[in-house]
Amino acid sequence: MDNPIVLQNVSKLFTHPMKIWQKVEAVSNLSITIRKGEITGIVGHNGAGKTTTLKMIMGFIRPTSGTISLFGKEAGSPEALQHIGFLPEHPYFYSHLTAWEILTYFGSLSGMSSKNLATAKERVLKKVGLYNDKDRPLRTFSKGMLQRIGIAQAIIHDPELIILDEPMSGLDPAGRREVKELILELKKQGKSVVLSSHILSDIEILSDRILVLTKGKVESWGTLKEIIPTSSVQWIFSFDVPDSEKDALFAEIKDIKMDGAQLSIVKQSKQEMNETIKDILSRGYDVYSAGPVYPTLEEIVFEKKEVNNA
Amino acid sequence: MRNILTVARFTFLEMVRNKILYALLFFAFFVIGLGIAITQMTIGDNLNVISDIGLGSVEMFSTIIAIFMGVTLIHQELKMRTIYLLFARPIRRWQYLAGKFFGMSLLILIEIIFMALILEGLFIAYGGPEKIITYLPAFYSIFLQTMTVIAMAVLCSSLTEIVVGAILTIAFYITGAISYNLQYALDSRISESAMKMVTMLRYILPDFSYFNIKDNLVYGRGLEGINLWVSTGYALTIIVILLSASLVFFNQKELL
Repeated sequence: MDNPIVLQNVSKLFTHPMKIWQKVEAVSNLSITIRKGEITGIVGHNGAGKTTTLKMIMGFIRPTSGTISLFGKEAGSPEALQHIGFLPEHPYFYSHLTAWEILTYFGSLSGMSSKNLATAKERVLKKVGLYNDKDRPLRTFSKGMLQRIGIAQAIIHDPELIILDEPMSGLDPAGRREVKELILELKKQGKSVVLSSHILSDIEILSDRILVLTKGKVESWGTLKEIIPTSSVQWIFSFDVPDSEKDALFAEIKDIKMDGAQLSIVKQSKQEMNETIKDILSRGYDVYSAGPVYPTLEEIVFEKKEVNNA
Repeated sequence: MRNILTVARFTFLEMVRNKILYALLFFAFFVIGLGIAITQMTIGDNLNVISDIGLGSVEMFSTIIAIFMGVTLIHQELKMRTIYLLFARPIRRWQYLAGKFFGMSLLILIEIIFMALILEGLFIAYGGPEKIITYLPAFYSIFLQTMTVIAMAVLCSSLTEIVVGAILTIAFYITGAISYNLQYALDSRISESAMKMVTMLRYILPDFSYFNIKDNLVYGRGLEGINLWVSTGYALTIIVILLSASLVFFNQKELL
């Protein structure tokens, strides 16, 4: 089967809401390939183009230029949508229908037979913890419950690709953990998952590859290690010094940090760290550990924002 | 076909549970009740007065429901963003539109049957249970007219916002309902160019005189000069044209 998602030079221009003669570029020249069986995280600040990108992938809006294919089929075509499950940001439902009915509705539209649908509804409702609430109208559901039913409808037809826009929104910590486990389970089943989230730690934990968007452009794309700027990696080692000699050493070396009984030094490059380790060893002290410290995704995204704003 | 039926089924379910519908139905019964109270004060055939008021109420409330639910039919989905969940499925936009239309039409059909049963209760009470049979073509005709109004409401709401769409639908409905009589009433009293405009309106807008048979039936003229096949054909043609036009606009629409 073809790659789940291929975007080639995709751009989207919108008319400026106040100045209709002006165009605003929401997504600019985006080219990425999302591979089968991987979890892809899309991050970026508000207005970065995350939701616009997902809407173009789903075929809700058309790109101004470029092409999008899903499993080799045109985005938005019924042939492509057959294989996709989608959870929009802040999903709304038909308030007078029950959880059971809404799954019947969307499952039927996905071409499921009545027999398959009956077992699938029970399975997914149990999975998202809503089986006991299956006959309640959705207007009586809390925000977290609506998010869960949103996830249930996205996976009811056992799609190959699941696209989740802010899946953790409205969930409590326990709910977030369950959704994370569910996403990892989907990956184990060989499904491809694309998720966008403002909770960067979730994206960092879950994603095989991360797409960082800034003002509609690709800021970074790859595994977490690949997207870390080399300048952001720091090198740290820890060592021990007798209490009686600490003051003298602190006076001599300014960047020593104290973490409980242990001391550590952070350097900007591996070479610098190695030289400092040699110095410490030559003084007869013991070095315990040494290695790189990678920034978190949050630090990377914020660092990029600051650079862009500068 | 399965997609259309599925959308129709759940459109009907969602709407039939809407409290606004019951409020409108309650109001319809209130108006019929009021009409009956008035019959006690009038001289003449009570059954005819009940028929007149009853059929008039069925027509009026079916049209009101069709206009207000018709204009919100698609808008509500766009506003509440439920449309994202639907169009994430392998369904084509025309199937969605057709399903919505049929779901809404089913709702109106049930509403008409329900009100007809209430009317039959009154006919039984006033000693004319067989009257309802005479009026079956009128109920059918009201149903055809209401389906046309739904299609008109869907088109108007796909062109503009809900309120403007409702105003446009009401305006077109009223014009379409009176254009036939207007043409003949104004004949020779207005200038030739004004007459041409009235005639043009008759041909551009749906002409609801095709569905106006209740007066004939209430006042004993039967189906004289009325061909239900022509009414049906006219309604279906207009519905297909209106829904096709809606589809053209709907297909262009980006789901922002």
